[in-house]
Amino acid sequence: MPSHVDSRRILKGVVGFFVGLGVWIALSSSYNPLVAGAAEALLRLSENPSVTRLRPEESEIIVDRDDFPPRSARPGVPLQDLTFNVILLIALFASSRETFSTRNVVGFGLACGILYVTHVFGLIAAVKSIYAVKLGAWSEAAYGPISRNVWSGASHFYRLVGLYAFAFAIWWVLRPEGIRLARRASKRKGRKK
Amino acid sequence: MKWDDNTRFLVVFFVTLVVAFSVIAWNPVNDQVIVPFTKSITWVSGALLNLIGQDVTVTNTVIYSRHFAVDIKNGCNGVEAMLLVLSAIVAFPATMRSRMIGIIGGSLAVQTLNFVRIVSLFLLGRYYPKVFQLFHTGVWQILIILAGVGVFLFWSLRFAQPRRLETNP
Repeated sequence: MPSHVDSRRILKGVVGFFVGLGVWIALSSSYNPLVAGAAEALLRLSENPSVTRLRPEESEIIVDRDDFPPRSARPGVPLQDLTFNVILLIALFASSRETFSTRNVVGFGLACGILYVTHVFGLIAAVKSIYAVKLGAWSEAAYGPISRNVWSGASHFYRLVGLYAFAFAIWWVLRPEGIRLARRASKRKGRKK
Repeated sequence: MKWDDNTRFLVVFFVTLVVAFSVIAWNPVNDQVIVPFTKSITWVSGALLNLIGQDVTVTNTVIYSRHFAVDIKNGCNGVEAMLLVLSAIVAFPATMRSRMIGIIGGSLAVQTLNFVRIVSLFLLGRYYPKVFQLFHTGVWQILIILAGVGVFLFWSLRFAQPRRLETNP
């Protein structure tokens, strides 16, 4: 195990950071509707009647409900604030010893899929947090104290630490070294049996 | 680390993170610890900006001049990055002594970089306001976290208990 600082990996991480930044800037407007669509479908599944509509508008997702008064302002969620951890994910995978090895590329593909799921749940938490605490008397009537705390806490956690923690944890599990370890461990278990 | 250790790492990492975040998000802790800490960061950043001739004034968590102002809020004080480093170090197999080295060293590294972030964001806001938001969200937030991850990886190679380590993270 080398104990020195690997400057090549650091350099690859820096390049990955800039690539990630470019990808995030270039693809956000195409990616946001995908996140909004899935979050809307899941939110509507949990509602009776289904009333939530999420409308991507520039960098925001506009939260609409069929039962909102027609003239009232619609709250928005700045979705880019919830998805920029993709830059972190790309930088971490880029810093791998063999960046373009099959293992790393497949791991990165899987990681992107899992990260998408976390983005959907991050948006759901943000929308539910708006419903639970930001709509005045309606929020108080529709949400009890526990659910108000749970949704606002979940949204707060995701925004401040969760989005970084998810990107780091996904990379930690799917990085080539992690997969190699998993195979070694399962072989060892097989031999014991 | 074996695969089972990997699973354990993730569980301990997330449990530590949720507990630590719940503690700092609790209003009394936020008001008595986090806000004064943020004020001290604001004060040092203001002093650094004055050192380079920006002529700023600091009030609570706000740094302002005639041209621009920034308010250091939760999420910009480096505490969250420190929590990530702390959670990763607690989850990694190591002695208590090496954990303390990692937590102290990691926190110092994160906060040193955070001063650079605050000073540079103030300068960007003043001289290049169009790119302020991009740097505030996309660039600096990620750089701080990457620095935290880098510190953790460096620590896991150099200072964590070698007896338990079987691979290079």
